[in-house]
Amino acid sequence: MFDYLAKFTTDLAGNLTFGMGVALSVRNIALCFIGCLVGTLIGVLPGVGPIATITMLLPITFGIDPTGALIMLAGIYYGAQYGGSTTSILVNIPGEATSVVTTLDGHQMAKQGRAGVALGIAAIGSFIAGCVSTLVIAALAAPLTAVALQFGPADYFSLMVLGLMFAVVLARGSVPKAMAVILVGILLSTVGTDLESGEERLTFGWTEISDGLDVAVLAMGMFGFAEILRNLETTQARDIVHGAIGNLLPNRQDFKQSNGPIWRGTLVGAILGLLPGNGAVLGPFASYTLEKKLAKDPSRFGRGAIEGVAGPESANNAGAQTAFIPLLTLGIPPNAVMALMVGAMQIHGIVPGPQIMTKQPHLFWGMIASMWIGNLMLLIINLPLIGLWVRFLKVPYRLMFPAIILLCCIGIYSVNNSPIDVIMTAGFGLFGYALVKYGFEPAPLLLGFVLGRLMEEKLRQALVISRGSFITFIERPLSGCLLLLALILVIIAVLPAIRQSREEVFAEAD
Amino acid sequence: MTSQSPEARRRGFIKSPFDFAGGLFLLFLAAVGLAGGFNLPTGTLSGIGSGLMPRVVSILVAAFGVFLIIQALLVEGDRLERWHVRGPVFILGSALVFALLIRGSTLSFGGFAGIPLLATVHIPPLGLIVAGPLCVVVCAYADKDTRLLEIVVFAVVMTLICGFMFKEMLNLPIPFDPAGLIPDAINNAYAGVKWAIGQAFGFVKNLFVS
Repeated sequence: MFDYLAKFTTDLAGNLTFGMGVALSVRNIALCFIGCLVGTLIGVLPGVGPIATITMLLPITFGIDPTGALIMLAGIYYGAQYGGSTTSILVNIPGEATSVVTTLDGHQMAKQGRAGVALGIAAIGSFIAGCVSTLVIAALAAPLTAVALQFGPADYFSLMVLGLMFAVVLARGSVPKAMAVILVGILLSTVGTDLESGEERLTFGWTEISDGLDVAVLAMGMFGFAEILRNLETTQARDIVHGAIGNLLPNRQDFKQSNGPIWRGTLVGAILGLLPGNGAVLGPFASYTLEKKLAKDPSRFGRGAIEGVAGPESANNAGAQTAFIPLLTLGIPPNAVMALMVGAMQIHGIVPGPQIMTKQPHLFWGMIASMWIGNLMLLIINLPLIGLWVRFLKVPYRLMFPAIILLCCIGIYSVNNSPIDVIMTAGFGLFGYALVKYGFEPAPLLLGFVLGRLMEEKLRQALVISRGSFITFIERPLSGCLLLLALILVIIAVLPAIRQSREEVFAEAD
Repeated sequence: MTSQSPEARRRGFIKSPFDFAGGLFLLFLAAVGLAGGFNLPTGTLSGIGSGLMPRVVSILVAAFGVFLIIQALLVEGDRLERWHVRGPVFILGSALVFALLIRGSTLSFGGFAGIPLLATVHIPPLGLIVAGPLCVVVCAYADKDTRLLEIVVFAVVMTLICGFMFKEMLNLPIPFDPAGLIPDAINNAYAGVKWAIGQAFGFVKNLFVS
């Protein structure tokens, strides 16, 4: 036992050192820096979440080698997460979905002249969470990859079914609607040429989509365009904090109060981030609820309690990073952002899955090590740049959204150099707008879309192996267990008691 | 989800227009899915054909659609959200403008579904220098507070910044000015400045290298 543990730690240390060697090259540091900076910049803009940010900035990674490109994209991702909290605290508009709860106490703190402290503790909490989850990724990667290599097609299929069920349980709103929207995503994934028979499916003779729909087009339409359409309807009162931001460094009392929330938030966020679907979004909500329950005086929450910033912000960052684990080890993206990462990897000719770690260790460990470096950079670059971000927030939305649309158009055009893609993106923008109008969430759809193709492939392979017998899915112990878990989740999702507590967690934001 | 306001109770047959419309939307999507894959082979279980997945998924989507509709008839629910027209028209229009102008295109009016070909319009490739500002200006009108002069200036500046960033720094193959609309004098001046900066960089670099 101790031998195993000792070997495990030396392996871990060795791998991380190897990764540091890759990530610490001047080029990769520069890419990580640019990624963090640009990600934060766009993340600060209200209404542009990480999904739209990554799609918009995908083209800028085209000329870079795969390792550098992924380091930069990861930087853009957690940079955007960081930027979101700045907007929440200073403007009372969540920069993106995961920083909704930060608006509650963060903005109150800002109103009391403690904006600096709120931003500071958010940055410090995120940094601690980032460090811990980098270690978690590094520790879990090797064993999970070993497990993943044992997976047969039937097991993969069942795992994805389980993942989609998680997405249903963790989604907001109506359960049947969440299930339906995932199915619509799977349906969209079947568009294009069938890989086995070469027949065109659901293309209606339109040659432009015979290669299938592009995940970037879908994501940009539903998260870039549709988001702007929705923002234009609600004229948000921008409550920018005027006057001084105040001291950035929290005092001893603040640190004492935030210490517990930061570690608990990191734990909650890291676990929820691993789960497919809305996991990373749920983390901050869960952390806020937890802190409120643990607090001696819960009435302080909503009136500028520093715990209400420290916990959720740590959970947010931890979840954002552990979400990489299923992608890197199993090759299955757990949420919409990771689905886009798959798209980005494919553009660079990398097939996500357990073979990355064995075949491209420099890419794998380099990316993981870069996350730690990126977190450190965010801590260092963000605090001095807050003045700049505030100035950005003062740009009126009537100028902001045309600029975002132009960037979206250029970005989507550049992915395939195809004007048709731009038109299709606009079409999916309208589709995403319609979905929201009818109460469907777009994020599970994107997940269904990405998993749909993989699921069909694995289903077909499994059935060929079993000669057409569905028993194989139950017979194989791994697959059987996963399906059983999925079944339990469905039952849980429909049970009224669980539904209520799920709504309670989200209700904190209202 | 269930708002019990008096006006919600007053609505007759359909108790939740919100879910009812959602169900209809799902039925529509399922119909499209079934129509698009109706001639594909289902295959056998040991060799699944290309048509099975789209068909099964479409039927499941339809089932959820029916479920939502039935639910909408039985359980009180929210009313439909209003659709705005201005936003979608201008935003989607601006993407269309960008797509049609960036590399040029040929538009045909008619010529399908039995309608004779009425007219064709050729748009020459105009590049980012025209598509960019037009895209920005058109989509800006999605907001009724937009001021013309402000947005025109902003559009031109944004386009120049984007052109510099994507074309010059990132070397993306996006056409910037294929029609040669920018006067030669400006192009030459730009090339001159670029050359001078390149020389200056080279000079500084040499100082350090040697």
